[in-house]
Amino acid sequence: MSTPLLKVENLSIAFGGLKAVDQLSFEMNEGEIYGIIGPNGAGKTTAFNCITQFYKPDAGQVLFKTKEDNVVNLVGKKAHHIIELGLVRTFQNVELIVSLSVIENLLVGAHTAFKTSLFSQILKLPKARREERALRDRAEAVLADLGLLHLKDMPALMQPYGIQKRIELGRTLMLDPKLIILDEPAAGLNDVETAALVQTVKDISTRYKCGILLIEHDMNFVSSICERICAISFGKMIAIGTPDEIKAHPAVQEAYLGKDDE
Amino acid sequence: MRKLLDRYKRSRPYSDYLVFGILLACAPLLVELGVLRFFQLTLIAGVIVYAIVTLGLNLLMGYGGLFSLGTAAFMGLGAYFTAFFTGNLSWGFLPSIIVTVAITAILGMVVGLLASRVEGFFLAMATLAVAEILRQVFIEWTWFTNSFVGARADFPTFFSFTMNRNQTFVLLVVFLVIAMFVTHSIANSYTGRALSAMRGSEAAAAAMGINIFKYRIVAFSISTAYAGLGGALLMHFIRFTEPNAWIFTLSLMLFAAVVIGGVRSVSGSVLGAFVVFGVPPLILQNLPVIGDVNGLAFIFTGVLIIIVAMYYPAGLVYVWHDLKKLVYKARAKWGRKV
Amino acid sequence: MNIFVQILFNSLETGGILALATMGIILIFRTSKAFNYAQGVISMFCAFIAAWFMSETGFNVFVSTLAGVVGAVSVGILIDRVVIKRTIKLHSVSKQIVTLGLVIVFLGLAPMFFGNIPLTYGRFAQGTQTIMDATITNSALVNIFIGVALMAALFFIIQKTKWGLAVRATASNDTVARMMGIPTSIVTMGAWAVAAALGSLAAMMVAPTTTVNFMMMDSIQITALLACVLGGLGTFFGPVFAAYLIALARNLISFYISSVWADAIVYLSILGILLINPNGIFGKKLVKKV
Repeated sequence: MSTPLLKVENLSIAFGGLKAVDQLSFEMNEGEIYGIIGPNGAGKTTAFNCITQFYKPDAGQVLFKTKEDNVVNLVGKKAHHIIELGLVRTFQNVELIVSLSVIENLLVGAHTAFKTSLFSQILKLPKARREERALRDRAEAVLADLGLLHLKDMPALMQPYGIQKRIELGRTLMLDPKLIILDEPAAGLNDVETAALVQTVKDISTRYKCGILLIEHDMNFVSSICERICAISFGKMIAIGTPDEIKAHPAVQEAYLGKDDE
Repeated sequence: MRKLLDRYKRSRPYSDYLVFGILLACAPLLVELGVLRFFQLTLIAGVIVYAIVTLGLNLLMGYGGLFSLGTAAFMGLGAYFTAFFTGNLSWGFLPSIIVTVAITAILGMVVGLLASRVEGFFLAMATLAVAEILRQVFIEWTWFTNSFVGARADFPTFFSFTMNRNQTFVLLVVFLVIAMFVTHSIANSYTGRALSAMRGSEAAAAAMGINIFKYRIVAFSISTAYAGLGGALLMHFIRFTEPNAWIFTLSLMLFAAVVIGGVRSVSGSVLGAFVVFGVPPLILQNLPVIGDVNGLAFIFTGVLIIIVAMYYPAGLVYVWHDLKKLVYKARAKWGRKV
Repeated sequence: MNIFVQILFNSLETGGILALATMGIILIFRTSKAFNYAQGVISMFCAFIAAWFMSETGFNVFVSTLAGVVGAVSVGILIDRVVIKRTIKLHSVSKQIVTLGLVIVFLGLAPMFFGNIPLTYGRFAQGTQTIMDATITNSALVNIFIGVALMAALFFIIQKTKWGLAVRATASNDTVARMMGIPTSIVTMGAWAVAAALGSLAAMMVAPTTTVNFMMMDSIQITALLACVLGGLGTFFGPVFAAYLIALARNLISFYISSVWADAIVYLSILGILLINPNGIFGKKLVKKV
């Protein structure tokens, strides 16, 4: 196997005295669906924010293989730079732009693909119109794949939560990413919606040929979808393996269920 | 729901703007026919200019979610620059306007730099401070502004042709229609979406690769360019200005126009400018009894702002949609009974 | 030496006036979560009440001031009950728009009640004193005393009394405060009443030098708002400290550098400080969780 798609090495960040993420290391391959699990407060979302550079990690490296097959250390890179390299994220509490329609939300996702100047946008020059048309077509294609095409001109504000999650997922697909990181995608969904989400994520991974990194606490959801899982607790990695290995791992059971005192 | 749907369907209202402009351009004819009075045309011209400025402020506030309480000072800058260029330097109207707008846009970028660090409440205060500094400049730099004696300018001149008052009025209408076009284009371009994203969720905007720093500066620059244009146009119509024309109260009124008319709406901005700047002097003061009461125009505007902010946050532009909806419902009910 | 003392006394006086106005704004900001842009015009309106009372009844300046303060308290309560009470659930931006609306309303009410002609208002005391070679008017001394005494009293009330605790609780989280049985609605009303009273006192202190007119509080209002952001919005102490600091800086600049550009230089410095520390001198940075 060639170089991994994402390789996290000794990632650490502390808030005050609290080590929210401590020496975290793992790696995932191209096209893989990989899970990071841990109980509430384990530092999952913080680790996530450190990988995507929303927080600046105190130490460690995040090596990412870009669209051009170069390996780049993401630490210290700006958000809009990272997205151009092919790494996109979603949010735990869906962050859609409620004042825009569904398709416009997807177009916001394609922001960095727009290149025409403000001037040509104002004058609606053919160049700007072509660009808008092309990206709208792509957005419609993505919506069709997600089964949302009929909603494209509806306001994003009024969609049910499950739909909003899909819209957010669609937004990440606009730029042909190499890796999508999903923050607690199953949170707040019912069983039927979760089952549908499992299928959607698998479809996306094969159709768009991208790796997917899931941050989750729902063990069943992760088990049904991921090939490999990294379990963390109190910011530290405690186990890496297949879903079955992880479920059987004593340290993971302890972290999830508490230590058996007897 | 329907309200929003209607809005998304109406994405190409250019022909509406054009018709609106043509109708408005007929106002000087009404003066010639004696229907409108001379001073009322001046008031309407003012409304047109304030509508242009409101459009720019709406891009900043409604789309970008950034606040400015310094708009009046940038209008003042526009007025003084064009007076200086056409007067002291004897430039023609067009080069003067272009350079004026460019300068105010660049100064807007400087304010935008502030906006990249300072947020929310702090930003509004910072723009207020900038406006106060500019006002001090208007008062003190006599060589540039002629201080309280006032600066003068002429009706627009193109090469050797000088427009008269009515032609200038039509020119203002042309600029308003262009401003409406441009605002609509920006709002529906990826720049407009980036501004909306910045306002809606800064985290999402950043995650999608939108450079928030850049778009704050762009938003401020666009809005001050509109303000500079408005100030310059007003200068060429009224042909006189002095520092007290550009005080904090005017910035407040412009802010009010955006809110009352309706944020994120081109027609809302024009409506808001008309309600704030046009209704009190054109309509209220001509009513019997009410028109004679001192200060009533202010109270009307103030109470309207409060009511709109409290009970109708989408702005007056949606009254029409809501009325239609009521009629719809009433008809449906009536229909069922029969 | 005497020049510096003179500047110091002047700064204590103007700083005190500014501090009163600033305290009014921060009190409302903390309890209602919105900048009260109308603080200045409400103060102006109440100064008109006092000046009108004085010219109609012929009472001395102390009784008239009392009348002005009573008027201010009533105006504050009225605004809270009629308008602010109904805005509790609104976003803070909408609340501020409401106060902007109030600015315009009061700019209309003032000429309706009091006409378009500026009124005059008397000083609290006549005569002058010489302290350390500096000449101070007695009225300035009274103003300094009122400013310092009121600030001290307010800080005592806020820090040490039951009502102060209610104010601080409402300021830190009004929903929780309400659940704990604190009558937040009365706290908010009280804040508006006290703020109006403080503002009107500030207005009556500047009135002898400016006359009572519609624009008398404009520059104080703007400077007070800037004092709030300079001092940081998290404390009561920060903005008041900033108010005195701004007054001192302004007077020093006006004497040693330029009296014309003093305001502009002060504003620029405040902008500079905000650029370096966007949350004010005593402010804290809030991190949004995503």
